Amino acid sequence: MDTAIRQALRDGEKLGLRYALQIPQVAASGWTGSRSGRRAGSSIDFQDYREYQPGDDLRFIDWGIYARTDRLTVKLFREEVIPHLDLILDGSRSMNLSDTAKANAVAQLAALLATCAANAQCTQAVWLSGEGFQRLPNDTLTPSAWDKLELESKRTPEQSFEILPPKFRRLGIRVFISDLLWPGNPIPILRRLRDGAAALFVIQLLSREDVTPPEHGNLRVVDSETGDESEIYIDSGIAKQYAENLAQLQQSWSDACRQCGAHMTTLIAEDLETSISELEAIQLLTPA
Amino acid sequence: MIPFLTYPLALIAMAALPALAAIYILRNRFRRRQVSSLLLWRFHVQSKSGGAKVHRLQLPLLFFLELLVLALLVTAAAGPQWKLPQSARPLIVVLDDSFSMRAVSDGVSAQTRARKFLEILFRQPPPSTQLILAGTEPRSLGSIAKNSRDVDELLSQWKCWSPNAAIDSAITLAAELGKQQANILVLTDHKPDDEKISSPRLEWRAFGLPLDNFAIVNASRTAFGNQDRCLLEIANFSGDAHSTKLLVQTGTNAQESLISLSAHESQRLVFNIPSGAPSLRATLDSDSLAEDNEIQLLPPIRKRVRVQVALTNENLSEFANRTLDATGLRAAISENPELVIRETDAIANSNSWNLCWSTFAATNAFTGPFIVDNSHPLADGIALEGVIWAATQTTNSPGDIPVILAGNVPLLSTREDVFGRRHLTLNFKPELSTLQNTPDWPILFWNILSWRISELPGLKESNARLGEEVNLKTTGEVVTVIQPDGTKTVFPKTGGELALETPMPGLYSVVTGATTNQFSVNALAADESDLSACASGQWGKWSEDTERRLEETSAVWIFGLLALALLTTHLYLVASAKGGS
Repeated sequence: MDTAIRQALRDGEKLGLRYALQIPQVAASGWTGSRSGRRAGSSIDFQDYREYQPGDDLRFIDWGIYARTDRLTVKLFREEVIPHLDLILDGSRSMNLSDTAKANAVAQLAALLATCAANAQCTQAVWLSGEGFQRLPNDTLTPSAWDKLELESKRTPEQSFEILPPKFRRLGIRVFISDLLWPGNPIPILRRLRDGAAALFVIQLLSREDVTPPEHGNLRVVDSETGDESEIYIDSGIAKQYAENLAQLQQSWSDACRQCGAHMTTLIAEDLETSISELEAIQLLTPA
Repeated sequence: MIPFLTYPLALIAMAALPALAAIYILRNRFRRRQVSSLLLWRFHVQSKSGGAKVHRLQLPLLFFLELLVLALLVTAAAGPQWKLPQSARPLIVVLDDSFSMRAVSDGVSAQTRARKFLEILFRQPPPSTQLILAGTEPRSLGSIAKNSRDVDELLSQWKCWSPNAAIDSAITLAAELGKQQANILVLTDHKPDDEKISSPRLEWRAFGLPLDNFAIVNASRTAFGNQDRCLLEIANFSGDAHSTKLLVQTGTNAQESLISLSAHESQRLVFNIPSGAPSLRATLDSDSLAEDNEIQLLPPIRKRVRVQVALTNENLSEFANRTLDATGLRAAISENPELVIRETDAIANSNSWNLCWSTFAATNAFTGPFIVDNSHPLADGIALEGVIWAATQTTNSPGDIPVILAGNVPLLSTREDVFGRRHLTLNFKPELSTLQNTPDWPILFWNILSWRISELPGLKESNARLGEEVNLKTTGEVVTVIQPDGTKTVFPKTGGELALETPMPGLYSVVTGATTNQFSVNALAADESDLSACASGQWGKWSEDTERRLEETSAVWIFGLLALALLTTHLYLVASAKGGS
């Protein structure tokens, strides 16, 4: 793995120490863990009483009630769960755009979120799109231990879904990091990402070059994923139209997110460290 | 019209054109840039996946504008000049306005021959022409004439009545008016001074002929006591001895005499006539130049001053009267005085001057040195050598102009009040002085009266030479001057002194209110009457080189204006971002 990416992971890990993942209530379901779940469990926090049913743990029978009422009643305690974070990273080449901070920002942002998840007692899984979705090696460890975070796929996340979809944990928090720059309807992929998730956050990560069109003049633009080229003369009209296209794309994703119950925000790779507040605004992070 | 370039080396700057093109080509070549996706570029994307393809170089409109501006500026720097049609070449004609041009040979004058030449010159489409009269002073004849009719109108002012011709000054004026680029044509009756024209822009044409001529070159009539003294000077401007008849008429009296003069000789005749005699007319036999054969002399103007002596000291009064009578300028009557002499500074009436003769008791006798303002008319001819001047020890009054001083003591001073009246102060005590025993005393009083006369209204002289100005003192009435040819000139109500021009010889009438005065103007100019130096011919010619240079007019302004217009368009395109850059 590139040393710059590894350094970005370390930077993101360090940055994430100040924040924690904000767990939505609907996500309080999962493996037995240290957080109170929605359901009754084995914690010491008393929740309720109910009549004994065959199969209940006999250790939870309240013998005092049985003595007074001659009825078997079990005490219910609050379930302790471990919430889960699924990080879905767009592994296409556009996320590794040359001469930009985009790849480092992906790594830094993912490391930040993973660290925040750890701070919130969450487990995590990091999925990278490519020829299907694959988990990063050592993704359950601290981000600096991750491996093979390489953004070189020619496929869009949507195509990767078709090849091999990720196996998300139910009621987990899912964060999708991508530049969202591929054609097509965003609703299908958002539905698949949202399916069974406690919450879905879509973070559009763009480089400044993506947002700001080049200066005036002749330009041969090369698609970083397909290698297609186009020659175009940039003037103020073209620049304006470019900005309109980008706004239109963002609006379509925003509408789709709203339709699917996802939260969306856009970050600029070069301004990542100063844009953490955006993640707080969408209630993804909270100060630790 | 193909322009030629004055500074062809400036075309080296054309190297800037390929430089500009290189800048644009390098600037406009396709820069390769990797983008995240072509998704956002689909509005204008042309698929290039088909491989290399030669495309036309896309250069913005601004490039071509800048290229054109550069080319225009470089061309302007090279000094392009158009070769204009010959008719656009300006011509300035200097016309000799002296009366020698009226000299006639075989019934044709030099002026007539010159006008015929001009007619031939203007048969072709007339150039832009300006006429300058070379009289006593050069005078431009109105605006630029565009056609022959305009020229004819201007030529009607060419009278040839000047007593001399300032041709050199006229040529200088023509050169200035033509900005050193106009052709100058001189039409006169004599050859140039050095018979050589060095300027390639000057052509000198003379239409005169060397002719014999008798002329009256000087004539005057002045007051001489009870008589008028007349002077006539007759000159023979021919190469041989000739004689002519002189006829002198005074009223009904006529006297004829034969004047015989050798070559280039002149004779003066001085004689007296009674002061009451009417105008004197002297004529010579007719010859080639008739204008100088006749003169008319009017009686000289004899002005006297009405002086009132109002001194209380009888001795002083008698002394003053004797002095005034001795000047010969005092009028017989003293009513309505024009000058009052008294011991105090007071005004008798609205027009009178006042001479305040102050004789105080305490006096000092000054022996000099005296400070005299010699530029003042009162001090004219006063020497004060060895004079003892007794006067009161005083200082100069504010507003008084001292004329004679002894140290800081004013002896004679003047002042003018708001009505234009003069107040003279004479600080003089005759008992202790010797001034009255010297010639300075009558001179002083003669100066006082003479100064007063000069301020009296009316003409100052009755006879003048052609071209001279005749001064007229007015008191605010409308003045009408009728010239010998009947032309009337009306001067509005102006006080002060008018200088009347004398553009032609003859009898002029000046009407001031109900008064009519006359003065005579005579053509007296020996140089113009001498026709022996007149000649015909051509000196100098507008050289071909000059013509070519004159025909080529700078076209820098055209290129400059075009460049400016293109730059304005460039600015507009840049401001509105339509230039495609």
